[in-house]
Amino acid sequence: MTASVALLNRLRDLTVARPRPKSIRYGIAVLTVVAVALAQSAMFGSSAPWFLYTPTVVLLTLFLGRGPGIMATILSAIGAGLVVVEADEPLLLTPVHWGASVIFTLTTLGLVVLVEALRTALLDADRLREEREQALVVTAEREAFLSGVLGSSTDCIKVLDLDGKLTFMSEGGQRVMEISDFNAVAGCPWPDFWQDAGNTEAKEAMEAARHGQARSFIGKADTFMGTPKWWHVAVSPIPGQDGRPDRVLSVSRDITELRATEEQRERFVRLAENSADFVGMARTDGGVFYMNEAARRLVGLEDADITRLTIADFFPPEQVETVACEVLPAVDRDGHWVGELTFRHFRTGELIPVLYSVFPITDTTGALVGYGTVTRDFRERRRAEDDMRLMNGELAHRLKNVLAVVQSVASQTLRGVPGAEAASQNLSARLVALGAATDVLTGSSWRSADLRELATRALSPHGRIGERILLSGPAVTLKPELTVAFALALHELATNAAKYGALSNDTGTVTLAWSITGDGDDAVLAVSWREEGGPPVTPPERKGFGSALIERSLRSYFSGKAATDYRPEGLVFELEARLKDAAITTGK
Amino acid sequence: MGQSKPIGSNTILIVEDEALVRFDLVDFFADAGWRVFDAGDADEAIAILDRHKEIRVVLTDVQMPGSMDGVKLAHYVRGRFPPTILFVVSGNVPIRDDELPERTTFLPKPFDPHRLLRQIESA
Repeated sequence: MTASVALLNRLRDLTVARPRPKSIRYGIAVLTVVAVALAQSAMFGSSAPWFLYTPTVVLLTLFLGRGPGIMATILSAIGAGLVVVEADEPLLLTPVHWGASVIFTLTTLGLVVLVEALRTALLDADRLREEREQALVVTAEREAFLSGVLGSSTDCIKVLDLDGKLTFMSEGGQRVMEISDFNAVAGCPWPDFWQDAGNTEAKEAMEAARHGQARSFIGKADTFMGTPKWWHVAVSPIPGQDGRPDRVLSVSRDITELRATEEQRERFVRLAENSADFVGMARTDGGVFYMNEAARRLVGLEDADITRLTIADFFPPEQVETVACEVLPAVDRDGHWVGELTFRHFRTGELIPVLYSVFPITDTTGALVGYGTVTRDFRERRRAEDDMRLMNGELAHRLKNVLAVVQSVASQTLRGVPGAEAASQNLSARLVALGAATDVLTGSSWRSADLRELATRALSPHGRIGERILLSGPAVTLKPELTVAFALALHELATNAAKYGALSNDTGTVTLAWSITGDGDDAVLAVSWREEGGPPVTPPERKGFGSALIERSLRSYFSGKAATDYRPEGLVFELEARLKDAAITTGK
Repeated sequence: MGQSKPIGSNTILIVEDEALVRFDLVDFFADAGWRVFDAGDADEAIAILDRHKEIRVVLTDVQMPGSMDGVKLAHYVRGRFPPTILFVVSGNVPIRDDELPERTTFLPKPFDPHRLLRQIESA
C-alpha cells in the first residue's frame, strides 16, 4: 500500500507537479497512442478496436494534461477506425462502427474533462497543503516570539474577561506579583486587588474598557504575598471578531521605588514651599528662578513674574555692591554667608531688615549651578530690640533718678549732724559711682560691661584718662553681676588716691592694667592698680568701709584673690580670678 | 572762661522738677555761701533770669514738665545771657555735645555736688 502510494507520488511529482515542455508531452501522447494501436492490432485484430484506447487516454490526460489527452482521443478514434475500415462501404465504415466511433470519442472526451478536473484538484490540494504548512511555521514563530516577549517583560500583563476576572497572567507578571501558581488567582475579580482610590479607578477603567476605551491610573496594591506596592496600570480593550471589546488587557508596572523617591522629593518641595522664611534660588549669573510663598509675600511679588529678576534687585542700591563683592565671593570661598542686610519691598519700597543666609546650590556632580537663600524677616526682631533698648533706657533713667533722690535724702538727713559731713560726702560720691556703673550696663542692655569702658567711666571724674590714669589690657567683658562691685571698688581706689595717694598731687599716676593668662577653663584674669609718684605711703591704722569694700566684696564677687599692698612708693592693689568666673568669654 | 568774677556774684539758678533733689542742691549751694534761686520748670526759670541778671551759673535738669526741656532752656540762656556758666543734668543717656550750646557741661545723674562746686569755682 505505502509502496504504491509512494510510486504514485513519484509519478505525480514527475508529471503533475513538474510539467514537461509541450512538445515532449504531445510527443509522448502520439508515441503512446501509436504503441497502443500496434499492440491492439497484434493482440486483438479487428475485434473491439477501442478496448485499449480508453485507459490509455485517461492515463495520458492524468499525467500530461488536457491538451495531449484530447489529441490522444482523436488519434485513438482514427486508429480504431482504421482497423475496422470496410472498402465497399460508401462511408468507409459501417453505420454500427460509425456509431461506436462517435460514442467512443464522446465518452473518452468526457473522461478527459473529468480527469483534467481531478488533476487540477490534485494540484490545488498540493498548493493548499504547502500553504498551510507554511502558515503553520509562521504561526509557530510568531507564537514563540510573543510568548518570549510576554515572558521576559517585568510588567504584569494580564487578560481579563469582560466581568474583570483574571484569565491570563504573564510569567514575568506572576513573578512581580509574587504568584507561584496562576490557578490560585485565576477567575478572581481584578478590581478587588486595588485599595482605596485605586479600587474605584480600577472599576472605572474596566467600565471604560467595556465601552472600547483605554485608561491608565496609578494605584496601590499588595502583591499576592502581601508586599505593598505602587503600580502604574494601563487598561485597554481587546477587540473580538466583531470588533467589539471581547476581553480586556491590563498592564501594570511596579513604580514603588520611583514613587518613594518622588515622595521624598515632594516632601522637600513642601518644606521649602511651606516655610515661613524667605526661600529662594538664583543661577550663578544672579537670575532668580525660585521663590517660595513667604518670599514673594515679604517683598511684594505675590503674582509677579520673577524670572526677569536678579539677586541685586532685592537690595537697596547701597547694598548691591556689598552683595556682589563680599557676600557671593564669600559663598564661593567658604560655602556660606550669613549676615544682616536689608531687602527692598518691590511695590512700596519699604526697607526690610533681614538675616540673609546664602549657600551654593550644586548639581548631582557637585558643580555650582546657583545660589540658595533662607532669609529671615528681621523686622519684628529689630522692633523688639528697639523696644528693649527704650525700656532699658527708661529703666536706667528711673533708676538714676531714684539714686539722685536717695543722694538728696541722705545728704539732707546728714546735713547739720555734727561730724557727719565727710560721711555724707563719701556716700554721695559712692552713689555717683553706682550711677556710672548702671550707665555702662545699660549701654549693653544690662547683659555685660566692657572693662575698659567701665574703668573709664568710674575713673574719669578723678583724673584725666591717659595722663594721670593709665589703662591697659585686652578687651574683656565683665559679667553684669560683678560690674557694680568693680565700679565701686575703682571709685574707692580713685577716691583714696585723690585724698592720700598718687592723685593727691599734680604729678602722680595710676596704672590700671589687666591681663589674661592661660587657656580655656584655667584662664586667669589678673587686674592690678598701681600708684606711682604720690607722697610716701603709710598703712592706715584702721581699715574703713572703702578698703573693706575693695578687698572683701571683690574677693567674694570674683571668687578670687584680692590684696592691697601699702608700699611706701605707692599703693598696689591686685585682683586675680578665674576668667570664666569674672568675664563673659567670647571667641577672643 | 577768662571773664572777671565780681565779688558777690556767686549766684546760681537751679532748675529741677524733682523737689527733693532741688531742695538738697539749694541747701548745698546756700551752705557753700552762694545765693541760690530755684525753679521747677523752664518758664519759671526764664522769669527768674529776667529779673536777676546777676545769675552766673544755671544748672538744669533735662526732663521737665512744661513747654521747654532743659536742653532748650540751655540754648535760650546761652542766646540771651551769653556769659552764663551752664550745666545740663540728665539721668537719661548722655546728650551729645553738638546738641548742647557752647561751653555747656553735661552731668550724668546722680552727680557729686562737691565735685561740681570745685569745677565751678575753678572756672
